[in-house]
Amino acid sequence: MLKSQISRPAVSNIKEGELSLSRQVLVELVQAVFAKGALFRFRAKGFSMHPFIRDGDLVTLSPLSDISLRVGDVVAFIRPGKGNLIIHRVVRKIGDSFLIKGDNVPNDNEVIPKANILGYVTKVERNGKERRLGRGLERFLIVFLNRGKLLDKSLYHFTRFLHHVKKVSRAK
Amino acid sequence: MEVKADLDSIYAPSEDIVSREIEEELLIVPLVAGIGDMEDELFTLNETGKVIWGHLDGEKPLKEVVAKLSEEFEAPAGEIAADIMGFVEELLKRGMLVEITNI
Repeated sequence: MLKSQISRPAVSNIKEGELSLSRQVLVELVQAVFAKGALFRFRAKGFSMHPFIRDGDLVTLSPLSDISLRVGDVVAFIRPGKGNLIIHRVVRKIGDSFLIKGDNVPNDNEVIPKANILGYVTKVERNGKERRLGRGLERFLIVFLNRGKLLDKSLYHFTRFLHHVKKVSRAK
Repeated sequence: MEVKADLDSIYAPSEDIVSREIEEELLIVPLVAGIGDMEDELFTLNETGKVIWGHLDGEKPLKEVVAKLSEEFEAPAGEIAADIMGFVEELLKRGMLVEITNI
């Protein structure tokens, strides 16, 4: 490489949205961060977990380590055969695998081996505030209705009502 | 606190970062307070920076890195040394690079 072709070396601070990361790079980054025992925070894209995780929400993932996954947990996994990173909810345990489904995707159940699951969601942030809806006790109701394909807007309002009741009783 | 690069020192990537190549650039995600944050803490090195980074492997002093890059870039060491040292200082300030030893 000739000096005439060289630009000055530079390090730039950028926003994730300015990048176009391939599926493989994103998965590799998550794995590399987890390998160092750290959490991974990034912007969710898509609508498959709406309204509990919305497009553009900031999601923090924790590595699975020795944690036992439970029904209702929201997990990040590598979709078999496609390699992309997906965040969906555990609906049922089947042996060493898990039936996983997006809250907003009525007919998209996937059986995912535990080895494909990288981590689980421990924090969701929207407009600078943490959002807990869908990760408390109401997650069991979400799973129940997901299994029966009954999850729709009415459930969203009902779980919001439950969340409000919880908040009010905590404040007392 | 001012950080100065030393040609006799050996530098290596910090343990508290994760890096991946993306096309001609290098993406660096520092691990801050135990979190790899793609939202607020994301950096890239341009193509030249990536080449220099590749030589900061914790095995040779910075003056040898300058000599190797002088060959690679076909430019006199005296001309490129200041840019390289400035770049190393920037990486040290941001905690992406650490000094291994001063020989």
